[in-house]
Amino acid sequence: MKLRLLVQLGWRNLWRHKRRNGILLGGITFAVASVVLANSFIRGMQVQMADNAVDLMNGHVKILAPGYLDDPGIAQSFEVAQDWQPDALDGITPDMVAGWASRVRVPAVIMSERETRGIQLVGIDPASENISFVGKLAVEGEGLADAADRRVIVGAGLAEQIETLVGRRIVLITQGADGRNREAGYRVAGIYRTDSSSLEKIFVFTGRDTVQNLLETNVVTELSVRVTEERFGPPLLQRLANVFSGLDVMTWQELDPTAAAMTAIIDVAILVYFFIMMGALSFGLVNSLVTAVMERTREMGMMRAIGMRPRSVLLQVVLESTLIMGAGIAGGVLLGVLVYLPIADGVDLAAFDEALSTFGLSNVLVPQLIAQDVILVVVLSLILGFVASASPAVRCMKMGPLEAMRR
Amino acid sequence: MSEEVVQCQGVTRVYADDAVPVHALRGVDFAVHKGDWVSLAGPSGSGKSTLLHIIGGLDRPNDGSVSVDGEDLGPLSEAQLSDLRLRKIGFVFQAYNLIPVLTAVENVEFIMQLQGVGASERRDRALEILDRLGLDDIGDRRPGELSGGQQQRVAVARAVVTDPVLLLADEPSANLDTATTKELLELLRNINENHGVTIVTATHDPMVMGYAKRPVNLRDGAIESDGSTTDTSSDA
Repeated sequence: MKLRLLVQLGWRNLWRHKRRNGILLGGITFAVASVVLANSFIRGMQVQMADNAVDLMNGHVKILAPGYLDDPGIAQSFEVAQDWQPDALDGITPDMVAGWASRVRVPAVIMSERETRGIQLVGIDPASENISFVGKLAVEGEGLADAADRRVIVGAGLAEQIETLVGRRIVLITQGADGRNREAGYRVAGIYRTDSSSLEKIFVFTGRDTVQNLLETNVVTELSVRVTEERFGPPLLQRLANVFSGLDVMTWQELDPTAAAMTAIIDVAILVYFFIMMGALSFGLVNSLVTAVMERTREMGMMRAIGMRPRSVLLQVVLESTLIMGAGIAGGVLLGVLVYLPIADGVDLAAFDEALSTFGLSNVLVPQLIAQDVILVVVLSLILGFVASASPAVRCMKMGPLEAMRR
Repeated sequence: MSEEVVQCQGVTRVYADDAVPVHALRGVDFAVHKGDWVSLAGPSGSGKSTLLHIIGGLDRPNDGSVSVDGEDLGPLSEAQLSDLRLRKIGFVFQAYNLIPVLTAVENVEFIMQLQGVGASERRDRALEILDRLGLDDIGDRRPGELSGGQQQRVAVARAVVTDPVLLLADEPSANLDTATTKELLELLRNINENHGVTIVTATHDPMVMGYAKRPVNLRDGAIESDGSTTDTSSDA
C-alpha cells in the first residue's frame, strides 16, 4: 500500500518538470540505445574474429603432431583411420559436431614459367571443408572435385605474382619425410579470392590424396574438428586428448592467441564502454535528482512532519530515480533494437577494408544483439540509477522534518 | 478536562548553532488537557513555535521531558516519532501544507495511506470529512488550483480525518485574510467543541488567540501567563 503511494508520488513528481525530466529521459534513452547498439557491433566483431580464427582451418579443436608448429613439414605427421569419426567418441553426439577435416599441409615452392614463390601446400578433401574458409571460397574457374583431384587452386594474389591463369600448368616442389625433394606439375583449376590478400598469397590447395601420393605417404599433418556451439569445445578437447594421446590437441585459442586475446579484450571493452557512457550520464541524473530534492525539501519536511518515515522519504527519491531510469532503459532498449533490426544482416564497411583486415575482420560486419548483453545493460543501468540516487536520498533522509521545512 | 494529552516538565531548548547560545525555552512546565484549545502566544522569539514543535516531536528538548497521550517522546527514535505523529497528532502549518501533486481528496487520504487504511474506506472517510467541512466541490483540484483559505481547510481536513488525539497548528492564519481566517477558526472551533479534538495553536494573531479556550503567553522562553477565556467568538 505504502509502496503504491510512493510510486504514485514519484510518478507525478516526474511530471512536475516535464522539460527537465524529458531531457534527462532523452539522455538516458540515447545512452542506453547507444550502448545496446555499440555492444551489438563489438559483439559482432568478437564473433567474427572467433569465427575467422576457427575458419582459418583451425576448427574449434585441432590435432597436430608434436613439433609441427615449430617445424611444419611431413616429418611431423600422424595417421588417421579412414572411417574415423569424432561423434563416435564417448560423450560426443552428432549434434555437437559441425564437421571435421584431415589435411596434409606442407611448405612448398610453386613455379610458373615466369616466377617462383614459397607457399603452403594444403592437401584437402573438398567435401570436408565446409568447416573452414576453404569451403566458402569464391573460385574463378573450377574448384577441386574430391580428395584425389590432381589439379590446384591458387589465390588471386599469388596468381598475379607468378603470372599464371586458370588452365595453365605450374610445378610444386616440396620435401618428403626422407629429406628428398619431390616435384610434380599440376594444372590450375581455379583462382580463389578472399578478403585477405595475404591468405591468397600463401595457400595453394589440391587434393589430399594428391599430396600424399607426391610425398609417397598416407599420413596427415592436421585434423580439425568444428563444433556446433562453442560450449561443446572443452568436452570434445578432453575426449580427443584421450584418443590421440601423444599428439598435440589444441583449441583455436591456443593456435591463434592473438585472436583469442582480442576476443577476450572485447568482453572487457563492452563493460568499459558501458561505464563511460552511463557514467557520464549518471552525473546528469545525480544533478537532476539533487535539484529535485532541493526544490522539494520543504515539502518533504512537511511529509515527514505529518508522519512519513525517514526511510519512506529515501525510498521515494530512489523510486523517482528508478522510474525515470526504468523508462529511459525501456526506451533505450527499444530504440536500440529498432535501429539494429534493419542492419542485423550486416553493415558494409568496405571503406575501412585495410584496418579491418588487420584485425582479421571482413568488410561486412554483422552486429550481434545478444539477450545477455541487453540484460547486462538493463541491470547495470538500474544499479547505476540506485547509486546515483543514493546521495540525494540519504541527504534527504538525514535531514530532520523541522530543518527541512525551514529551508 | 482532567485527562492530560500533553505533559511538559522542565522543557529547555538551547540553540547553540551560533557563537552565542540562544535559550528558546527555559524549563517550561506545561500541560494540555483533553478537549482543550490552547493558544501559545507571544512575540517573535518567545519560544511558542519551539514549544509547539517539541510537543509535536519535530524538535527535541535539551532538557526536560515531554509526553503525548501518555507516551514519553524522549526515548523515541526518529522513525518512532514519525509513527507517533502519524497515529496521534494532526498538523496544520503556516504554508507548504499540501502535497502539490495530489488532489485535495488525495491529500486528505495521504495520512490514511501511510496508516495502511484500505482504499475504499480511505476514500469514503476523505469525502465525508471534505463534505463536513464544506469542501466537497474541490476534491478533484490540486493545491495550485485552490485559494490559500481552501488549502488551509483541506490541511485541517487531512489533520483531523484520522481522529488524532491532538491537533497542532503553527501560525495557521499567517497567509490568510480576515474573512478566511474567521472561516478557518470557526472550523477549528467546530472540531474542538463538537468532535472533542484537543488543539494547540502557536500564533501572534489576536483573532486566533481570541478563539482559543486557554491563552498561554510566552516571553523569553518562559510562560508569562496561563489563563482561560469563556466566550471569545464575538472578538473574532
